[in-house]
Formats: sequence, structure tokens, C-alpha cells
Amino acid sequence: MADRSLNPFVKYLGRKFLFLLFTYWIALTIVFILPRAIPGNPLSTLLARLSQQGATNPEAIRAVHKTLMKEFGIDKPWYLQYIDFIGRALRGDLGTSISSYPKKTLDLIIPVIPWTLFLLIPSILTAWIIGNLLGAIAAWRRGSLIDKVALNSSLIIGQIPYYWLGMLLIFILSVRLKIFPGQGGFTQGTIPSLSFKFILDVVYHYILPFLSIVISAIGGWAIGTRMLVVNELDSDYVSFSEHLGVKSSTIFRYVFRNSLLPQVTGLALSIGGALGGALITEIIFNYPGTGYLLFRALSTLDYPLIQGIFVILIASIYLANFFVDFVYAIIDPRIRLGQGEG
Amino acid sequence: MLGTIIRPLIRNRKFIGGLSVFLIIVLMGLIGPILYPKDPLSFAGMMETPPSKEFPLGTDTYGGDLLAKLLNGIRTSLYIGFLTAVIAMVIGLLIGSISAVRGGIVDDILMSFTNIVLTIPNILLAILVATYLKVRSAEVIAILLGVLSWPWFARAIRAQLLSLINREYVYLSRLAGYTDLQLAFEDLLPGIATYALMAFILFINGGILGEAGLSLIGLGPTQGVSLGLILQWAVLMESVRRGLWWWFIPPGVIIVAVTSSLLIVTTAMDEVFNPRLRER
Repeated sequence: MADRSLNPFVKYLGRKFLFLLFTYWIALTIVFILPRAIPGNPLSTLLARLSQQGATNPEAIRAVHKTLMKEFGIDKPWYLQYIDFIGRALRGDLGTSISSYPKKTLDLIIPVIPWTLFLLIPSILTAWIIGNLLGAIAAWRRGSLIDKVALNSSLIIGQIPYYWLGMLLIFILSVRLKIFPGQGGFTQGTIPSLSFKFILDVVYHYILPFLSIVISAIGGWAIGTRMLVVNELDSDYVSFSEHLGVKSSTIFRYVFRNSLLPQVTGLALSIGGALGGALITEIIFNYPGTGYLLFRALSTLDYPLIQGIFVILIASIYLANFFVDFVYAIIDPRIRLGQGEG
Repeated sequence: MLGTIIRPLIRNRKFIGGLSVFLIIVLMGLIGPILYPKDPLSFAGMMETPPSKEFPLGTDTYGGDLLAKLLNGIRTSLYIGFLTAVIAMVIGLLIGSISAVRGGIVDDILMSFTNIVLTIPNILLAILVATYLKVRSAEVIAILLGVLSWPWFARAIRAQLLSLINREYVYLSRLAGYTDLQLAFEDLLPGIATYALMAFILFINGGILGEAGLSLIGLGPTQGVSLGLILQWAVLMESVRRGLWWWFIPPGVIIVAVTSSLLIVTTAMDEVFNPRLRER
């Protein structure tokens, strides 16, 4: 079956890329269909509400109404609406916001995306690394006190939702002990700049939301890695190496590397869920990221903005997925050398 | 047969501990509202009072009795969790087993579909669908969460069934003239039963946590009380920054207690039934 003319590495990545592209198209289609398929058509409700408000502020509302009619193309047949929608999405035109008319939704989303990435990426990577190390050590010392403490605390702490841990941290460390600020991405009133003072202020505000994601995410990784390493320790090559008298630290390194592979895939699959949790954590902390913008869009029923946030977030998740697949392909020799289907 | 399954479980301390915590919370949800028959949605009296004899868990900004809310909220959240699990389970079992048994093109189509649903971030999709629903009952939330969370289970069931179908005893049963239904119930189901039970438990957790997440964004059930809705109002009224700990701590404790006790039950089951994980 294998096509000898193509590098297996490129082939693997190409297949992943096409799959993600296809899935992204399906996600866009869902975004298109939902408001039109749900009974009581939310779009016409919104338009009706706008035209009622027209009585108080006719000029502005009429402008919003006109833009919406044009962008959603409600008077056109569905297939023209669909082609229009996909075409504009590909060109990066995600429509006009209602609550912040006449701003384009993309212009509202782009400034908040870095905040979310800044919160999400370091925290899930930190949790992944600490969790994997903890799980591997627990498995290596299976049955010991370290193992029992690590496993049992992971089982419970791992179930704490990010946002609730965030609330506890705000209550204890901010409200009661007054050590850290309990809200925002920086002190209110300061103007973002690249000065040392501002960066310090941002880091200071960063600690609590960062900790609430890291602490609650460690447990899941630790439990997973512990199980993988325990299974790996039972494999033939481990007992063979033990009989050969290979140093146990060397065996541990082999076992750890082999157990990490599924956890890399796990990281790709967990990004969506982690993002969902981080969005809510941002709301709890009034953190100026995508979650906060989404919350505002939801409370004003700004459908174009909500849709735009989704299109962007799903695209970011898929980019991250693809990046993890790329890393996976580099570290898994079976893919690099073209054996097995990964 | 049943004795050999249950006896090692009852001897497992983790299993008993986890199960007890879970059952206590279930009882709080089932019997609590009967033993403490106050209306969770009515104005009970004083606003934002800390726990007292009259209000064991204090009151919220609207003078609502938080103990009454908590007990009724446990009921709703558990209901959403169970319903989510049933829905996800049925879809996952159907797709996974049809895929494994039929094979060929049916398998290919069903598995591509499964992979697509698995790759679309289900929390985001749940948020998006909920946005457009004006009225969201507890059932609607459960259906939404259930319909989006089955894929990993379908894949796992397919893999398990495929490894079972090619075993010798299944082949012998076929030779002995077993019907497909007999094969399914006598040879295959026992092989996946414990796994399915563990998945069911994880789906309950997913449902409870999913409801809480949706509610916090403002997309939870539109009527009634749930653990997530209590948290949502606690956040909207800034209870955390105003130090009203009795409002936001109890629902979170219950969520963590339910989900971690259930997780401990599944880990204990795994230890008992998976010989590799037994402590040496």
C-alpha cells in the first residue's frame, strides 16, 4: 500500500492536514446551519427586536438592520447564503458586530486572542510536564507512599473545575490574605505598554488564573501517565533488560519515552476542553481574553460576534492540533521511518 | 458468577469509600428536598445572611435559602448527569458495535464520522447550540451534552469488540449455531460490560461538569435550580470578591465530591478487574 515515492513523514502530515481542513469545513457549515435551523429562527427574532428598537433611534438601528440583512442574506436562497458565508469566512470577513456597531467582529476578536493564548498555552504545557513526571514517578514507585499520595490527591484535585479553583484562590489569596489581585489582566487605569512596570503588573495579575488551570489540570495527566507507565513496565523488553542487568535509570528512561507518546496525542485532544475551561476561568477573573468577550457577546445576543469567536477559536484549536501532530511525527520513529500507521 | 465479581469489589476500600460518598450525595438530592421542604426559588427572608440556625447555609442576594437551593440543585445536576450518560452510552454502543460487527465500508463511514465529531471541540459546540435555544430545560442540556460526548466511547467499544470477535470461543459459538443476538449477549457483552459501566460513570461526570460550565457562561437551564446555576448567580453577584463564601463554596464542594468519588469507584473497579493494575 505504501507509496514509496513520498516521504512517510510528509504523507502522515498531509493526511492529518486534509482531515483537519475537512473537519474545519464541517465546523463552519455547522456554524452556518445552526441559527437557520433552530425553531423560532433566532436571526429573525433578532431582526424583529432591532426594528422595534428602531422607534427610539431609527437612524442607527436601520444601519445595523441593513448590514445584518446583507451579511446574513436572509432574503436570498440558502445555497447562495452558504456560498457567501464560506467565501467571506475564507477571506477573514466574519461580519459586523451588533453590540459594537459598526466595528467588524474580527477587529474585536484579534486584540483579545493573545491574552487567551498567553493564559492557556503556558498553563496547559506546565500542567502536562509536571503531571507526566508525577505520574511516571508514582508508577515507578508503585505501591509506595509517594504513589498513594500522588494518585489519591490527583483523583480529587483533578476533578476540580478550573473556574471553581479560581474562585477559591481569589477568595483565599486575594480577598482574605490580599496577596494577589483578584481580577483583570493588569491594574485598571494603566495603559498597556512594554515598560518594565507594566510587564511586572501583568505577571502579578497572571499568577492566580495560571495557577487555577495548572493545579487542576495536573491530576488528569498524572493518572494517565501512571497507568501507561505501569502497563509499559509489564512489557517483555523491560523484563529482558532487567535480566540483562541494564541500569534501572536507563530502563526508566525507555519506559518514560514510550509512555509519553500517547500523552502527546492526548495533549492535542485535550486542547478543546482546556480552552473551554479557560474561557470560563477568564470570566471568573474578568481577564481581558476571548472568554470575557464571548460572555459580553452572549449577554447582548451579538450573534455575528459569537459566530466570529467560534470560527476563530476552532481554527486556533486545529492549528494547535496540527502542531502537536507535527511534534508527534518528529518524536515517533515509526512515522519518521515509515513503519506502521501511527 | 455474580459473587466472583462483587466480592473482590466489596473488599476494596477505595470502592466502598467512593461509593459511600456518592450514595450520600444521591440521597441528599433524592430525600433532601423532602426532609427540608423549603421552596428554593422563593424569598425566604434576610438577604445575604451567613449560615445560621434558621438558614443552615445562609441566603443569597435575593433572600433565597441556599440549603434548599443546594439540595434541589444536586437533584437537577445528578439528573442531567445520568441522562447525559444514558444518551452518550446508547449512541456510543450503537455506533461502536455496528462498526465492529459490520466492518467494511459501514465501519469506514461510521469511524470517519466518529473522528469528525471527536475533533470538533464539543464544549464550544455546546455553547454555540445553547446560544440559539431560548428555552433550555434540564433535558435539553442533557441531550446537548450527551449527543456531543459519545465518540471516544464508540471508538473504544469498537476496538474491544474487534479483539473479542476474533477469539476462539466466539468462533466455536458460531460453529455451534448461535444466532447473532445470542452471540452478542452471551459472548460479547460480558466482555465489555465492566468497561461500559466505567464509561457510564465518566459520562455522568461529564454531564455534571458540562452543566456547570454552560451555566457559568449563562447558558444553563432556563428554569429551576442546579449546582451550575447557583454558581452562576454567585459569580454574577460578585459573591467571591465580597466574601460571601457560603454561596459559592458548597456547590463546588458537591461537584468535586460527586465527580471524584465516581472516579475513585471506576479506578477501584479497574484495579479489581484489570490484573495488570493489581498491586504487587
